[in-house]
Amino acid sequence: MTLFAVMRLELRRLFVRPLGWILAALTLVELAWRFVLLLGNFLGTQIRLAALPSGPGFTDMVSVPLLSSLLTGGMLPFGLTELALLIVPLLAMSTLAGERSNGTLSLLFGAGLSGGSIVYGKYLALLVWLLLWLLLILAMPLSLAHATTFDWGKLAAATLGMVLLLAALAAIGVACSAFTAHPAIAATASILLVLGLFIVQLGAQAVGIDNGVINWLALPSHLEPLLRGLVSTTDVLWFVLVVVLALALATRRLNADKERG
Amino acid sequence: MTSPIHVSPPILRLDQLNRRRAGRPAVQNLSLALQRGQVLGLLGVNGAGKSTTLSMIAGALRPDSGDIELNGADFLEHPELARQLIGWLPERSPVWAELSVIEHLDAHGRLRGLSGSALRQARTAIIERLELQPLARRLAGVLSQGQRQRLGLACALLHQPALLVLDEPANALDPVQVAALRTLIREQAANGTAVILSTHLLTEVTAVCDRVAILHDGSLQHEGSVHEGDHANLERTFFDIAMNRKAQAA
Repeated sequence: MTLFAVMRLELRRLFVRPLGWILAALTLVELAWRFVLLLGNFLGTQIRLAALPSGPGFTDMVSVPLLSSLLTGGMLPFGLTELALLIVPLLAMSTLAGERSNGTLSLLFGAGLSGGSIVYGKYLALLVWLLLWLLLILAMPLSLAHATTFDWGKLAAATLGMVLLLAALAAIGVACSAFTAHPAIAATASILLVLGLFIVQLGAQAVGIDNGVINWLALPSHLEPLLRGLVSTTDVLWFVLVVVLALALATRRLNADKERG
Repeated sequence: MTSPIHVSPPILRLDQLNRRRAGRPAVQNLSLALQRGQVLGLLGVNGAGKSTTLSMIAGALRPDSGDIELNGADFLEHPELARQLIGWLPERSPVWAELSVIEHLDAHGRLRGLSGSALRQARTAIIERLELQPLARRLAGVLSQGQRQRLGLACALLHQPALLVLDEPANALDPVQVAALRTLIREQAANGTAVILSTHLLTEVTAVCDRVAILHDGSLQHEGSVHEGDHANLERTFFDIAMNRKAQAA
């Protein structure tokens, strides 16, 4: 009950602050432009693709590349994944750091809320915002569902990948926000942490080490298969683990706040 | 005159409360009890430990040791008791700047377990009582400090708590608002609400409080009833404590 009260409060704050709207508008414009370019490229190669017995379709050439550039080897930079690495930390930075800096965190504690209720309430609100954002982005390729043939399985796997990615990024953002009273520091720490997870295996691979542990730690190792349509429990578990670990750390930090004052 | 015998447990009982902050003791071995309908003033110079004490009572800060009983139950074991029983106005009345006054009241009400028509009724009543109608749609971020203080009071009173915890409630209020605040506190006490408030103003204590507790360096130095015309005595006691301790420290 109180968790939903916190969630509702945070959602309201996300929707009345200009930051969320500006980020949503800018990213949607960028992704819409990306969608148009990908669609143009797809239409331009129609004749050539038709000659291939099992050539890539609309899902491979438009829907999935819209979601990521780096991981799908797409021709255009900044797909949803790359944008999310920046905008989720920006949205999450104030969730707890902002409350701490303006003194409203004590109001939440004073309402008898536990650290867990505060963290999970805020996390769920952020997740709702991000899922609405994802829905708007997915609406672009889906708007052509009547005119083209979708690989629904592949699209569903890629969507699952995006949902898990956003959930993990939001959890990391909330955790970083729990450890400081300065939203800018929270955002910077979150971006660096996420970039670290994104490239952790590159250095090792560059010197010829293809260690299983390092690969397992890296975010792309788990997102890429999902974007290619392969859903494995291990990959899903990796994201769940990141979420659980980040939220547990945030809760622990908040409870310590109450102890330390 | 003998004081009445209370058979019900005190709404608030502090027992040997201790708390360190920034490496020094902020509250030391503090024991107090407060009955329903009583108004207790915590008096002390800046840094005496008033806000720390009130933060612990409100559940925003855990004591290092000691017990807090709320209506006979262990508050430290059941911090959720704060939700219904306590209304808290922290120092400087922090607000969510991007929310309107009405949205604030709704958020506070929901955090305290109110919903639907009960929340709407409570909100309407408190807006009328604190004359917040002209500010109702305004964003909290653009309110003056005095207006924020009134909003904070409204949030603290919204769910009709049994214990009202007010940290420097007269801060930034004009004289008319201070008079209205005093009337409000006496009204709450007459309805059976216990009120504990912190202040460094003697006039505040003599105007609204039944009892006074003087804190210095985190420990209780004096506790007693406040009677009409007590201002001079109280002033003497307060300055004796403050000056003696200062001299000892020197």
